[in-house]
Amino acid sequence: MKFTKYLFTLFLLSLAATVWGQAATAPAPDPAADQLPRLMTYILVIAAAALFIVAMVYVVNINQFLYRRVLDLEASKSGVKLPGETAAAAVPVADSFWTTLRKKYWEDAVPIEREHEILSHHDFDGIRELDNRLPPWWVNLFLITIVWAGIYMYYYHWGGNGPSSTEEYKMETEQAQKQQTAALAGIANDVDESNVVALTEGGALGEGELIFKNTCAACHGQLGEGTVGPNMTDEYWVHGGGIKNIFKTIKYGVPDKGMIAWQSQLSASDMQKVASYILTLQGTNPPNPKAPQGEIWKGEAPADSTATPAPQTGTGG
Amino acid sequence: MSRIEQFQYDNRIVRAFGMATFIWGVVGTLVGLTLAFQLIYPELNLSQTGIPYLSFGRLRPLHTNAVIFAFIGNGIFMGVYYSLQRLLKARMISDALSWIHFWGWQAVILCATFTLPLGITTSSEYAELAWPIDILITLIWVVFGINMFGTILKRRESHLYVAIWFYIATWITVAILHIVRSIELPYSLFGSYPLFVGVQDALVQWWYGHNAVAFFLTTPYLGIMYYFMPKAANRPVYSYKLSIIHFWALIFIYIWAGPHHLLYSALPDWVQSLGTVFSIMLIAPSWGGMLNGLLTLRGAWDRVRQDPVLKFMVVAVTAYGMATFEGPMLSVKSVNAISHFTDWTIAHVHVGALGWNGFLTFGVLYWLWPRMYRTPLYSVKLANIHFWIGTLGIIFYAVPMYFAGWTQSLMWKEFTPEGTLAWGNFLDTVTQIMPMYAMRALGGTLFFVGVCIGVYNLIKTAGQGSFLSNEAAEAPAREPRPVSTAGQYWHRWIEQRPIQMLLASAVLISIGGIVQIIPMVFVESQVPKISTVKPYTPLELAGRDIYIREGCVGCHSQMVRPFRSETARYGEYSKSGEYVFDRPFLWGSKRTGPDLQREGGKYPNSWHYNHMIDPRTMSPGSIMPQYPHLADNELDLSELPAKISALRRLGTPYPAGMEERAITDAQQQAKKVAGKLKEEGIKDEGMETKEIMAIIAYLQRLGTDIKVEPGGR
Repeated sequence: MKFTKYLFTLFLLSLAATVWGQAATAPAPDPAADQLPRLMTYILVIAAAALFIVAMVYVVNINQFLYRRVLDLEASKSGVKLPGETAAAAVPVADSFWTTLRKKYWEDAVPIEREHEILSHHDFDGIRELDNRLPPWWVNLFLITIVWAGIYMYYYHWGGNGPSSTEEYKMETEQAQKQQTAALAGIANDVDESNVVALTEGGALGEGELIFKNTCAACHGQLGEGTVGPNMTDEYWVHGGGIKNIFKTIKYGVPDKGMIAWQSQLSASDMQKVASYILTLQGTNPPNPKAPQGEIWKGEAPADSTATPAPQTGTGG
Repeated sequence: MSRIEQFQYDNRIVRAFGMATFIWGVVGTLVGLTLAFQLIYPELNLSQTGIPYLSFGRLRPLHTNAVIFAFIGNGIFMGVYYSLQRLLKARMISDALSWIHFWGWQAVILCATFTLPLGITTSSEYAELAWPIDILITLIWVVFGINMFGTILKRRESHLYVAIWFYIATWITVAILHIVRSIELPYSLFGSYPLFVGVQDALVQWWYGHNAVAFFLTTPYLGIMYYFMPKAANRPVYSYKLSIIHFWALIFIYIWAGPHHLLYSALPDWVQSLGTVFSIMLIAPSWGGMLNGLLTLRGAWDRVRQDPVLKFMVVAVTAYGMATFEGPMLSVKSVNAISHFTDWTIAHVHVGALGWNGFLTFGVLYWLWPRMYRTPLYSVKLANIHFWIGTLGIIFYAVPMYFAGWTQSLMWKEFTPEGTLAWGNFLDTVTQIMPMYAMRALGGTLFFVGVCIGVYNLIKTAGQGSFLSNEAAEAPAREPRPVSTAGQYWHRWIEQRPIQMLLASAVLISIGGIVQIIPMVFVESQVPKISTVKPYTPLELAGRDIYIREGCVGCHSQMVRPFRSETARYGEYSKSGEYVFDRPFLWGSKRTGPDLQREGGKYPNSWHYNHMIDPRTMSPGSIMPQYPHLADNELDLSELPAKISALRRLGTPYPAGMEERAITDAQQQAKKVAGKLKEEGIKDEGMETKEIMAIIAYLQRLGTDIKVEPGGR
């Protein structure tokens, strides 16, 4: 029974330690990018968590010991003899090796029954002070953090080659670029405004609708009826209708008119899906339509259509 | 030996501060609870009805000020006025000063209660109050100092107990922090611009803000703990040596840690790193206080079961230990990359405020009231109920907020394999954590109910007892000279010399601030200039001041950190040179809504117009308050000339004669904004003279300067 308490406390604390461990590592999906600073953090967090656990065990330990003492005292007052150990023996015994070690590096509190030896003679409004040694583990913790601080400053500023915030950013983006290229290789994501075609398959259009509702509806209305942005359901287009123009407007945006460039937030295939979905809104006549803007789009010219929307201008239509 | 002197302790002033403590405790937590519900039900902002005073942005500073300076502030004074007299064996030197202190402090709080909802704010967290109130605070703080030091000097006790070391360090540090943070140039009765600008303002702010936590929420409360905990437990303090080391280490190291609020910001890396390492070194000194508190209970743990006072104190000190471990962990850059701007920070501060400050305050109140009213506590059972419901409240508050912060941060950072943001729509990351917000409101409700039960219990205790206004005491007069300390522990020397202790504290707490702030202010290379960054136009300036008035900074940051997940979402990361005209800086500390540093040009004017009047028309599901009054209120440009000349005196290079042109210039720009709105199909008439023109102009300017080609504007 006695140990279940310990075990439970330890279990809870180890959970806490895991959480902290994750805290330190979770944002680094790529360990190669900046291994050393993360590693240092990791070590620090684990060391701190370990110390925390040990400190808590120590506190629990003391409490149980004291509680036992209180029981002993109560028992001796009322003359009851408790099973198990009784009050500490009065004969001083030389410390064992382990006790010496513990007192030196861990804890060295004077036991309660001998605390009168270190009690201040003076009192402040009845409050007296013991002159217990600083808990050695606490002193060690303090020293470790000071040493860590020196190493950290050396590594990042005084001589080491720790990366600056902006260097970390550069490494992060370069790494992401590589991953992105790898992920896109072989996938039909090399869609762009020159070769995009309208999708008609239901699944793709469903995904397009979801993207529309999440990202486009704020300005173009839940049903594409237009609010701040133009109506998507009529045959008038400000920057050109047809899958290629729509794709291009989504991709590069029209910054002057408030249309966001979505290429950093949507993949090419997502933009193709949402553009295809927008085409299906033609003629749906939703309630509260916004008045037409732009010109009637008469469809793409048959032969030289790919040349018309010049991508370098960015703000066609 | 000197003769025995008779005197009386003043309990009335303690009672007054105690009553103020629990009254403001109720108010502060009630405002907090209102905010928690506003985040779930935006209609509770009431701003859609045209009442602008109670929206989240304006109430948030009222909540923080009410809890920190009203609830905890009065709690400090209650504890100090009770313990100081007894530890010095002397009545306060002047009852008149005590009462000026009391009523002056309540006046400050009342001013805050009116000015903050009215939108009169500097926007600097925990230093929001307008400059005349800042002056009043300074005066009252000086009154407190004279009263405290006067009493210390005419004390009957030769040595100063550890609690008083903490009180002394608190007084001098808060004075320095408040004065440096509040150096501002007024341009009207309530309006002012700060001396520091941009990055420097940010650094000074968090040197102040962090140390408000250190020297208003921590050191005075440690002093209070050192008196009331051994008293309540009737046990000697565990270690005198530990008191000494952790006291000096704590005050010296704490002051350096401010920049950990600005990790990965545009603040230079070396200052950020100092913030990190000093935060880590702070673990042991902070835990020194926790250890000395908990280990003082050696031999009294059996009584913790029965005595609600000790229960409150044990949880308080434990919460202190947890918060002071978590704080340094949050200061490690890779943890901070996740936690910053999220609800994790909110959870962290509430463990401190509700657990450490709140529970210690109630422990002290439950101990004091029966003694001053000479009667047992009205109901130990109710006190126990308060304890349990309060503890549950803290758990129900903190745990959901940890989840919320964690969840939202990971959503912000998630990319698809194709390299686009998995949650490109910021709003999705908000709606995801709404259930956690609801849980938090439940936790807050529990804690609030506990506070109300506590207040009821204290009132009933007062009702059944008879108050002892002047408590008789006697002590021998003090020898005029310090006692020789030869052969004693070295620290005994300074314990008899309060002035030297004050000076030593002042020197120690100044070092960190000087090392960090002076180079930032005087070494130009610390903030590389960007040639295309220009001062705000008069209309944008007016819009910025409206942004400040409405408390937008409470939910929107203006600081894109150098992370791929942020540059993909918001645009280029922020550079220190972009803020050289920002007085005050508006980086913010929480992203309940998205960052706005690169907002300029992102959406059309009409989007902003509709979004201000009702955010949910543009972003269904948004929890932002509505601001229809911006389209009703006439834009007041009359203060522009005074603002322009104040800013020029502080260093913004407005050309000569700008004051005369400012108003017409602003009107012209407002016409342009209105014209654009018309083009975009907004049919409402007469908008060119409304406040909404200014705020749209400001938002459209935000973060655009670095996109201008040099020489292009």
